[in-house]
Formats: sequence, C-alpha cells, structure tokens
Amino acid sequence: MAGFLRRARGAAGKAVDLSSGHHLPNLRPGKQPPDPSWLPRQRRGTTPQMVGRYPDYDVFDARDTWDEATTRVVEERMAVESGGPLSFFREDEAATLRAFCDTCTAQDSDPRVPVAELVDQKLAKGQLDGYQYYDMPDDRDTWHLVLAGLDEVARSRYGKEGFGALDAEAREALVGQLAAGALSSASLDRLNVKRAWSVCMRMILSAFYSHPFAWNEIGFGGPAYPRGYMRLGPVSTREPFERPGATSEDPVRVAPELEG
Amino acid sequence: MSLSLTRRVLKGALGPPANDSRFLLDPHRRDLPGEDTMARYPDSEEVDLCVVGAGAGGSVLAQRLARQGWKVVVLEAGPFWHPDEDWVSDEAGSHHLYWTQKRIIGGADPIEMGKNNSGRGVGGSMVHYAGYCPRFHPSDFATRTLDGVGADWPLSYDELRPHYELVERELPVAGQDWPWPEPHSYPYSPHPVSQAASVLWQGALKLGIQMRVGPVGITNGVFGNRPHCIYRGYCLQGCKVNAKASPYVTHLPDALAHGVEVRAGCMASRVELDESGRARGVVYLREDDPATPRLQRAKVVAVACYSIETPRLLLNSASPSFPNGLCNNEDQVGRYVMVQGASQTAGRFPEELRMYKAPPPEISSEDFYETDESRGFARGFSIQTVSPLPIGWAEHVLADGHWGRALREYMRDYNHWTTVGVLNELLPLPENRVTLAEEKDQYGLPVARFDYSQCDNDRANIEYSTRVITDILQAAGAQDILTIHRYAHLIGGARMGTSPDNSVVDAHQRTWAVPNLYLADGSVCPTQGSANPALTIMALASRLAEHLGGRRPG
Repeated sequence: MAGFLRRARGAAGKAVDLSSGHHLPNLRPGKQPPDPSWLPRQRRGTTPQMVGRYPDYDVFDARDTWDEATTRVVEERMAVESGGPLSFFREDEAATLRAFCDTCTAQDSDPRVPVAELVDQKLAKGQLDGYQYYDMPDDRDTWHLVLAGLDEVARSRYGKEGFGALDAEAREALVGQLAAGALSSASLDRLNVKRAWSVCMRMILSAFYSHPFAWNEIGFGGPAYPRGYMRLGPVSTREPFERPGATSEDPVRVAPELEG
Repeated sequence: MSLSLTRRVLKGALGPPANDSRFLLDPHRRDLPGEDTMARYPDSEEVDLCVVGAGAGGSVLAQRLARQGWKVVVLEAGPFWHPDEDWVSDEAGSHHLYWTQKRIIGGADPIEMGKNNSGRGVGGSMVHYAGYCPRFHPSDFATRTLDGVGADWPLSYDELRPHYELVERELPVAGQDWPWPEPHSYPYSPHPVSQAASVLWQGALKLGIQMRVGPVGITNGVFGNRPHCIYRGYCLQGCKVNAKASPYVTHLPDALAHGVEVRAGCMASRVELDESGRARGVVYLREDDPATPRLQRAKVVAVACYSIETPRLLLNSASPSFPNGLCNNEDQVGRYVMVQGASQTAGRFPEELRMYKAPPPEISSEDFYETDESRGFARGFSIQTVSPLPIGWAEHVLADGHWGRALREYMRDYNHWTTVGVLNELLPLPENRVTLAEEKDQYGLPVARFDYSQCDNDRANIEYSTRVITDILQAAGAQDILTIHRYAHLIGGARMGTSPDNSVVDAHQRTWAVPNLYLADGSVCPTQGSANPALTIMALASRLAEHLGGRRPG
C-alpha cells in the first residue's frame, strides 16, 4: 500500500511549473529533458509507461462519437500486442528490433506502444512511403541492415552478443551516433547512415503516435468525425470531454533545481 | 447593383453557373453519386476525349467538356473512393490516399515523395491537400522579364482571371477580402480563427506583416448539400465531411451526371499514336488484370497525371518517331520540375493552444511574395499557418534533432505549440528533372526518377524566410522554437512555352509534337510563384476546356 501511494504521488517535490516551459530540452543544460518521474502517474486512461501530462484524460471516453471506419482502424491497432509475433523480421532480429524501437521512443517499461510490432506489420504489408533515395536500398532492406549494424557494433565495441544485450546507457549512446550518421560497421557502411536513420524513425514515430496510448500521453483529441470540435478559442480551447494538463506538483514544493 | 457587388453582398448565396455538383451530393452519405449509373464506354468506341488522371486538372476538363456533349473517359490509376468506409479520421490510417508506388529520388537535395505531394485515386492529391487556394500573381507569368529568373509564360494573369473567379465560386473559397495580388473578394466569408493561429497573427502584426484569414477551399456555411466544416483538423487525411473542396465533390458529381466515365484502377502505360502521328488513344492496364493491355480509343487525349507521372507516361510512350519518349525529341520532357520550400517553425506558449482544432490552413500572408532586391534574392515566399497532427508534429520535433526522451518531452508538450510555415518560390532549373529509373513497378513499367538540387537563390530565399517566421514567433512571445526544413507541392515537368525548343506544350497546353494530345495538369506551369498550385491547375484546365469548346465562363 505504501508503495502504491508513493507511485501515485509520483515525483512529489520534483515537479515544474508547466507554463514556464523549463521542462523543454532546448531550454535545459545539455538539451536533456528532466527525468520523467516529474510527470504525474496516469489515473484514467492508459499511457506508455503510465506517464503523461493529462492524468485524467482517456481518448476512449469519446469513442461513441467516432465513425465506424475510424473505430475499426483504431481497434485493429489496439489489438496489436507488445511482444507479439513478428512476420517481416526474423526471430534472430527480434531482440535488437525491440531494443532499438524502445530506445528511439524512450520506452523502458510496460505498458508499451507496440512500436516494433506495428513497424513489422507495415513492412510485412509492404506499406512504404513512395520514395527511395538513389543511394539507398529498398526501405525493407534498410531495416535489416540497420539492425545488423547495431548488433555488429554491440559485438565489436562492447563484446555483447547483440544490441539487445546492452544496457540502456550504451544503447542510447549508439542510437545517438546512428542519428548523427556517425556509426560505422560492415552493414551500416552499405547505407547512407543519416538517411537510414530517417527511414527508420519515420516508421517508428508513425507507429508510436498513431497509438491511443500516446494520444492520452499528449492530450490529443483523437478521431473527430462526425463530432468535430467547437472550442477553437479564445475563451477556451478545451472540449467538454477533454481534460486540462496537469502535473503532480505540490504547489508548495515546485522544484527550483529543475528551473536552474 | 453590379454583379460583383451583388456577389459581395450575397456571398455564398450565389452559386457557380454550369456546375451542379453541390446539389448532386447526398447530404448524409459521402459516396460520389452516380458511380452505379455512370456511362460505360467500350474500349473499342472512339470517345471524344480520354483523360489520364482524375485529379484537379483532369476532373475539371472532363466536367466542362461533358457539359458540351463530349463523350469522356477518365482513366485513374488509384481507387474509386467510398469515403464513408475508405477514409478515416486518423493520421496513420490515411496512408493509402498517397501515391506510395516507388519513385527514386536523387540530386543534391532529394525531394521526399508521397504523403506531402502526391495523390492516388479518384479526386487526386486535392483529396489530401490542406485547402489553401491562393491565386498566382501577375508577376509569376513574367519572372524572366521582370526579375531575370525563371521563365515567362505564353499567357498572362488577365487571361486566367475569369477562370480563377469561376473556380473560386465552384470550390467555394472562403476568406477575407484579399489584398494580393490585386484586391478581390471570395464567395464565402472567412472561417473563425483558432487560438493557435491567433497567436501567430498577433506576432505578425507586431512586425508589421499583414495577414488575412484564408483563402481556403472549405465551406463556411452550407453549399448546396455540402455541410459546414466541423473543424476537426483532418484536412490532410481526406475530408469525410465534404466541407473541403476536391474534384471528388466539386466537379466529378457533375461530370458523372453528364456522361463522364471514371475508370478507376487503370494504370495508363502509354499514349499510342497512329500512322499519321496523331494520338489514337491510351493503352492501360487494369489492376485486376494487369497482364492484358487495353487501348481506349479517343479523338483527343489529355494527360493530367501531375509533374512526376505525366513526364513518366510520355517517356514510357517512346516509339520509332519519338525514340527518347513521346514529345521529347527536343529533350524538354521532365525538365524544370519545381517544388516549393515549405520550412515550418513551431513556437511554444504558456497556455494550451491545441492546434489540432480547426483546419490546418487558417491565415496567410503574401507580403513577401514579390521580389525585393534588399533581401538579396529574386522572387519571394508566402507565409501560412499550418497545424500538424501528432505524427506530423513528431517529424517536426525529430527534424530539430530530438529523439528518445527529449522527443517524448516535446511531444507531451504538443498542446502548447503553434506552427507557421512558408512557401518559397524555388526557381525552375533544367537539371531538376524526371527520367526513367531501371526499377519497375507492379505493372512492369519503369518508375520515375526525380533529381532535384537547389540553386543559390533558393537557399537564400529559404534562409531569409525561415528568419521571418522565427521572428513572428519571437514577437508573439514564444518560449522555445523548433524548425523543420521541408518541401511541398510539385509543378512543372512539361512546361508551356513559345516554341518546341523551350517547352513541351503551347499556350493552350497542346503538345508541340502531337496535334490532338494535351497536358491538363500542373506540369505545364513554367513558374510556380509562392502560391499553392491547386487553384491554378483547376483554372488552367477550365481555360483549356474553354479553348477546346467550352462556354465563356462568367
């Protein structure tokens, strides 16, 4: 019970004033965000890792206002399970794929948006974006090469059997170098690494932010047909079913350390 | 009272002449009415006109000429939409609206293709365009003479004006009285302005930049059986409301009612010539029977597949008299393809703005449209508010260099941000061109390769304009600013001109090489201005229809 209470209070005393924007990475030293423990635990809907800015908001509360076609698409997405079977990627790629998707979207615990599984589904169906750089292979081959490349670096640099076996810090370091186009290995050298990063991230972000868990986390209104929106401002920008943003701060203990 | 004053006073109460689409639509269902009862022509019948591509250009041309009694077949590679079932209020679920067949991209600044600039299916890319409908400026038609860059058109703004006015009434366009390029009003009143756009407007006012609400092809009030916009913000995912204009609701209902057949799922593979050098018709492959080439015979052929696929179809139509591709003996096909710079800057504000509400296109400015030598480059840009949904916002955050935990933090802050973008007039360059790649598509046809590189003027324009929108955000009091450099729109690729050695078509969009072959899309534009191209593509098709036998608009 005590543990539960501690969790529910989240990071009491570690919160920031939302209106100041001091939680924004660009405004902070090293451009790094505060630890997500400053965020409130989700009370109503599900969010990735149960953190978010709208603890009493669940996009599904408005589900009865969605049209059938949209509801079907969202429900199909909800039926995909994190850790579920893969059909495009090989079994020996699964651990690397999941670790890579987790690192890119900072998912370190359940509940998760099933990013790896959604990406797998898209690639298995051949749903690509309509272009291929002249100096790059097909997106599907790019994915295989990126995963192989991460494993190669994990072996050569850390002596681990693969990227999935690295600790969080090492994974972030490697992904940071991949993002900068600065990672090299036999497989990665066959790619324009910066473009490969963009190919992978396009799919990863499209998967993550297509998921209702993520909509809850960011307070997005979600599907809106045939209902639409009425509150465009200036008096209010919030519909009756939407909830205000909140943090778990104790107003007496707004943490100056996060602002400095 | 003069007609224009009457229109001003009565606003949307006066509909366009000679287009009943708005009444033909069903108020409660979104299907294109008339699909079941539409005319069907056998391949063997020589129709008056075969159009390739059911988008902005092809649909307007078909609708106009069908009203003159022409027998018209429109071939469309993509599906015949049934929006109630096929379109969703969901970003990722709208992937199928885009032309996602492969294209190879190259050059120093490769252009990403697909969701941002290419449509597939009946209605074309206007199904997922944002909705901005500005006119080109008179200067766009003479940039070579006026500014020493780009090219002059073989026609003037004045020749296009009546068609602009007509198409604005057909869409219909909503907006404030417009000061650029010449004062004109719109048939519908401006939409209410969202809080996200208001903040930007205030910033612009502090800098002395004029902005106006609109112009958008989105109904503000009912228009026949088309309902009022519901401000759900999914304009780029296909309008399930029928409030946003696309040929699917503005021209094709009327076209079908006048005997046009829209044959969907049909990929044109070549334009076939007869012995005399005239177009005999179009060879196409059905999606459900791709191994059987069929020839739709026609007296006149109009290609309207946009800047990538129109050149591709011509290049794929090589024959002994045109060994390098149809109409390409002068090596002009596929050249001068343009895109617009479309950098976007987002600003963070203390209060919740929730930018996903209201149409993404809200207010815009053409204050920087014309050349100003003090800026250090020729031509200019326009400023337009935009509102990315979560996946678009994630791409914006990523472009600023954030991933993992930092990206999640910015994403959670989504409701506090507002976004403003530019459209830069990037110049037409001959090396920016479409050619054929070695790779083949599902039909065995070579896919397009599109090479693109900016010139120094382009880079200076993009840099300057990014500074302006950043200044707007700062003036508005933004706490943090994130920028993404990107492109939007396509135009050119088979331009019109004064002779075969500088162009593919003449001033009436007829190919120099084949007397009964016309190009009826944005590929014919020699320059692009900083205006979104949809309205101009439709106006050009309207003008072409008039030339081919339509009535004088008015």
